[in-house]
Amino acid sequence: MYAFQLANRYLTSRIIPLIAVAAVALCVALVVIVVSVMSGFLDMLKSSGRTLMGDVVINYPVRGLPWYDELIAEIEATPQAEAATPLIDTYGLIRMPYPQGGDKEVVTANVWGVEPRSFERVTDFTKTLYWQPPKDDAAAQAMSKEDPRLQLSPQIATDGAALRQSGTNEPGMVMGIHVSIVNERQRDGSYRNRFGWFMPDQRVTLTLVPISGKGTVAEPRERLFPIVNEFRSGVYQIDKNRVLVPLSEAQQMLRMDAGLQYDMDAPPNADGSQPVLGKSPARVHRVLVRAKPGVTPDQLRDAVEVAYDRFQLKLLQDSGKIAKPPRRDMVSILTWEQHLRDLIGPVEKEREMMRILFSIVYLVCAGLVLSIFWAIVQEKSRDIGILRSIGASRPGVLWIFLQYGLVIGAVGGVVGVGLGWVVISNINAIHEVIGEDAPSWSWIGAFAVAAVALVMAVRGALAGSLLRSLLWMVFAVTLCVAGAGLIAHRGTLIWDPAVYYFSSIPDKVDWLTAAITWVGAVVFSVLGASVPAAKAADIDPVRALRYE
Amino acid sequence: MSEAPLLQARDLRKTYRLGRVDVPVLRGADFSMKPGEWVAILGSSGSGKSTLLHLLGLLDEPDAGSGGMWFEGNAVAGLRGGARNHYRNRSVGFVFQFYHLLPELNVLENALLPCKVAAGIAGWPAARAEAHERVTALLQGFGLSNRMQHRPRELSGGERQRVAIARALSNQPRVLLADEPTGNLDARTGGEILDMIAQLHRKGLSIAMVTHDPAVAARADRIVHLVDGKVAG
Repeated sequence: MYAFQLANRYLTSRIIPLIAVAAVALCVALVVIVVSVMSGFLDMLKSSGRTLMGDVVINYPVRGLPWYDELIAEIEATPQAEAATPLIDTYGLIRMPYPQGGDKEVVTANVWGVEPRSFERVTDFTKTLYWQPPKDDAAAQAMSKEDPRLQLSPQIATDGAALRQSGTNEPGMVMGIHVSIVNERQRDGSYRNRFGWFMPDQRVTLTLVPISGKGTVAEPRERLFPIVNEFRSGVYQIDKNRVLVPLSEAQQMLRMDAGLQYDMDAPPNADGSQPVLGKSPARVHRVLVRAKPGVTPDQLRDAVEVAYDRFQLKLLQDSGKIAKPPRRDMVSILTWEQHLRDLIGPVEKEREMMRILFSIVYLVCAGLVLSIFWAIVQEKSRDIGILRSIGASRPGVLWIFLQYGLVIGAVGGVVGVGLGWVVISNINAIHEVIGEDAPSWSWIGAFAVAAVALVMAVRGALAGSLLRSLLWMVFAVTLCVAGAGLIAHRGTLIWDPAVYYFSSIPDKVDWLTAAITWVGAVVFSVLGASVPAAKAADIDPVRALRYE
Repeated sequence: MSEAPLLQARDLRKTYRLGRVDVPVLRGADFSMKPGEWVAILGSSGSGKSTLLHLLGLLDEPDAGSGGMWFEGNAVAGLRGGARNHYRNRSVGFVFQFYHLLPELNVLENALLPCKVAAGIAGWPAARAEAHERVTALLQGFGLSNRMQHRPRELSGGERQRVAIARALSNQPRVLLADEPTGNLDARTGGEILDMIAQLHRKGLSIAMVTHDPAVAARADRIVHLVDGKVAG
């Protein structure tokens, strides 16, 4: 009981333990922040990969898979698959409507031809459509008054989901939010339109280059598309490059739609045309598959492989169909994670490296607690002598300081996790502030407080207290340096979305890491305390109480 | 028939090592006190009187080859670990020249400390009320009623020594071991403390008191002179 009481009093009646708590808290916060950002980055990478391409991807680029409808039917018949959707994945040029007059801007884009309804079932893409009116009053109130979305009609979301302009019934295009330059991201993550342009009012010209089965380039095809909406996936590279158009339009432009297959080797007919071999099916580059709840991507991939074999066998036996699907080993059937392995693998390794490197922080905790406690034990040796004289045991004395270390580790850990949580939760706002020039009030304030501190330093010196004067002086100089730093600060972009893939920094605490770090801080604080605690227990009471 | 001694020591030897030099402090000291007796151990500085008190309270260990020590007829010199701590906690109570109160605890908490050590974590909730009552009464008896919540730094020297005596007596030991209890006090306050000790002695407490002041020693029932580590005469 006395051990608890004394540990508590030593903790609350002195400033040194508070320094130890602060040191442990900073160490813990450092680990929590770094690892949380890395884990968040990894999670975003994984979840975005999954939401953007489903669980399993069947890929057969350039020539494309024929009879994909039958393949999809085969896949959807398996109990593991929830839905499958065909996809055209190609590159094209987009002529933008801006600038006003003169040469319009042309950008390259990754063009996805999708079948909106089945694509939605596999990827939830309508959730990423940015231009939608607020769902309810609460959502509307959360938005800034200037947010253009407050003025939108629900039709824009319907048009986006259907890839079709309702007024004209024209097939439409949905662009990534950063494909054009007119959307400017605000600090709260919303967008404003620059230069008075609102893309969903505009039309763009898309140019695609068809590639023949022999690998030769055919005449490029152009087509005007109204922009019906824009999407924001959160993955900057995708939001910057990808546009969605209806599958049938993309197939037509790439000459991958259904048609007749001519025998180019046979002599021409009397009218000059080549003899017809049969019907040529429409083709797609990819089929994306989504797993049923509870089915892992690996299980789904195995099921899709079997379904593909069945599909191929059926087509081979069907003599009415001339175009045959490629052999399974020519087609890549991968889970989304395998598909993104090149990206995810190194990030996972980096995170583990970070965890290991930052484990050194624990040693810092232990070292800090050890040195601070060593000083406390030296100072408190007389108290320890008294405790021994009234019958306290050595383990009792040991326990006082172990408990003391335990409390410092636990409290420091909690404060550190809290600090980490505050920083992580506001990391994008902090980043925005760092990204701008320091406001003038900040450095004026720093210099003003520094001036007051300087006056206090002079007063301290006049009063004859060198320590007080020195502390105020150090405070004043620190503030001057901070003020000068704020003047010199010209806005630093640390998290460049072009480099870091995502347009915002992950802002969720990795609670598992936080818990592990907290336990580590407690364990290492107790370890750090154990050496001085053992020294305290070994103190000879007679020597400690000797006063001469 | 003479009464059996309460605390007895025979041929106590103690040598301290200062650097490479052995300094013998006690060279075969004998000591004996009867129940209820107040014995003053008188000696000049360096005569070994504090060391004798520390050995009697099992705060220090005599050299190997020393004679024995007995408390209530039981050999205590060879006690180890828990039994040794128990002896210091229950059988004797120490009072020092410089009070040695814990600055972080208030008067009541300081005086309760031996009770908390005795009860342990598990036993304290059960023992708390009784210990509280006993120690509060003790402090009130010593005129510290309005000082219970004060920290040691807020007390005078005499008040601090009274708290130290209350702490020494909080577990109702049979022997009070006082090491120059008035050595740090002015004559008047020292006299008050001696009056208090005398009062405790009248109530039956056995006291072994170390002093270098013959006038202080004169208050005791009996004086033991310690010269060069031996009891003289």
